[in-house]
Amino acid sequence: MHRSAIRQIALAAVAGVGLAVWVFPVIWGLLTSFKAERDVLAYPPVWLFKPTLDNYREVLFGASSILPNLWSSCVVSVLTTLLTMLIAIPAAYALARLKYPGKRASGFYVLATQMLPPVGLIIPYYLALQRIGWLDSYSGLTATYLTFSLPFAIWLMVSYFEDIPLEMEEAALLDRAGRLRTLWYVILPQVRGGIAVAAIFVFLNAWNEFMFAVVLGGNRVRPVTVAMFNFISVEQTQWSKLAAGAMLAMAPVILIGILAQRHIVKGLTFGAVKGGGRR
Amino acid sequence: MTGPGSVRFEGVVKRHGETTVLHGIDLAIQPGEFFVLLGPSGSGKTTALRIMAGLETVSGGRVLMDKRDVTHKEPGERDVAMVFQSYALYPHMTVAQNIGFPLKMVGVKAAAIAQQVAEAAAKVNIGHLLERKPGQLSGGQQQRCALARAIVRQPRLFLLDEPLSNLDAKLRLETRLELHALQRTLGTTTVYVTHDQEEAMTLADRIAVFMEGRIAQVGTPREVFSAPQTMTVASFVGTPQMNLIPGRWEGSAVTVAGHALPVSRTAPGARDVMLGVRPSDLWIGSSGLPARIERIEDLGDSAIISLTGNGQILKSKGDPQPARQGGDEVFLTFAPATAHLFDPHSGARL
Repeated sequence: MHRSAIRQIALAAVAGVGLAVWVFPVIWGLLTSFKAERDVLAYPPVWLFKPTLDNYREVLFGASSILPNLWSSCVVSVLTTLLTMLIAIPAAYALARLKYPGKRASGFYVLATQMLPPVGLIIPYYLALQRIGWLDSYSGLTATYLTFSLPFAIWLMVSYFEDIPLEMEEAALLDRAGRLRTLWYVILPQVRGGIAVAAIFVFLNAWNEFMFAVVLGGNRVRPVTVAMFNFISVEQTQWSKLAAGAMLAMAPVILIGILAQRHIVKGLTFGAVKGGGRR
Repeated sequence: MTGPGSVRFEGVVKRHGETTVLHGIDLAIQPGEFFVLLGPSGSGKTTALRIMAGLETVSGGRVLMDKRDVTHKEPGERDVAMVFQSYALYPHMTVAQNIGFPLKMVGVKAAAIAQQVAEAAAKVNIGHLLERKPGQLSGGQQQRCALARAIVRQPRLFLLDEPLSNLDAKLRLETRLELHALQRTLGTTTVYVTHDQEEAMTLADRIAVFMEGRIAQVGTPREVFSAPQTMTVASFVGTPQMNLIPGRWEGSAVTVAGHALPVSRTAPGARDVMLGVRPSDLWIGSSGLPARIERIEDLGDSAIISLTGNGQILKSKGDPQPARQGGDEVFLTFAPATAHLFDPHSGARL
């Protein structure tokens, strides 16, 4: 009993330190976003200051508004998510269920694409998009994100599909549902959780992406992650505006995280608990 | 019988890679028949059922339904309904939606679906559970829901894959009777897979006994029990299993360990045989094969006695024997007409 109490306290302490390390930059950023520039640079740092909404006003509606960039991020992320799910759902189903020549090879290919270091792909992607005139376009950035999100989403959803008993599908086939209607009426409603998890992760990855956006985007399509760099220049860094921009960019991520927390945790522990694997 | 629902297998072969699961099966099921595929695990009975359903392809041979070749037809094109061992209910749908699903898939109007669902549910006594989800039902109720889903669209053939195996013993008995009555009312050809020979005996019009991917015997339950065509069928059907005693058949007796045991048939010439006697036909008498009682299992209204005789374990089933006890030396005897004779090498009935 005594030992377990010590253990509990030690665990809580470690978790507390971990949480503090994680939460400090967020809190600091949040505070900075409400500070005047003078307070930001004060040394020693001030904890009590007169909060201002000027930074948010400037970042949203001022000369360097990030609203168009938030819109760009939104378009690219939503498009990437929709297209990924549209392709990944049937692909994952096929990998989980259908028997076809080359199934094992295609399964490996899906996983293998995840092993490529993204930085090595930037130049080939740049050249390819330049050749087809897709640089600085929604199509170009979305297509690029698809190449990363598809393997991830397929890989994640295969285990969900595999967990549906085969007999249920056979029953639907005997009930004259056919393959597509079986998928629609019987299988998809049961893998809703998996679809939600995959969609959330794909959206968040696209929303947070920076490296490809900075190289393959431009003046027309500039996601918010890139736009925030406008607040950093050779002469000065506008810390408070940068912080306000970061808070605004983080807002949808945090919102989705809170709303989908239950699904995400379930989705990540799914394979471990059920022991599902590719047949 | 006439009407739809006949099934015919012509030399059906099924291979999984190097393994042959079915070795050229021939089978003819008549319309309206309650036909049971009986056999131990791995004997190929479920594969045969799945081939009927179209869920498995064949490696050779043909499957005919109502004289039409359906070998390469999709499951949905065969007009068959199946009840799976796991019931395979759709967990996200209510009972009513589960039962109505096959009707919805063929475009029946919502009002007609509701009416037919109510009728099917009433036939299996789950009319009051229509709004529940499968997860809120007991095992027996789930089983009825699966049955209702099968009967709702009046298919030409019902396929049932060990549908009672997940129920407890008491419920299994009740459901068995109801299932039989339901099949008789509907008159639909029913193919039923089980490894439980008691289920097969009580339900079937005819039984096909599967052994190692082959049909060892087809016949009525009475025929299969009283005249098993092979030693494997003889030992599979009947509990406890048939006593098989090696001996030499000469004249109208089989000699076992120097003791002549009379049988009803006369040997065409002296030969080695396997003498088969059901435990219920083997009793303790004043003469016969000497044996020693090892153990008596008192079942209340009857008793199963395990004995050692001719260097092997023999079983006798009969009235309780309060006077007997382990270690008693006795003689075993049987009526000559109840003896079964098999070729010891091929296992075929003589």
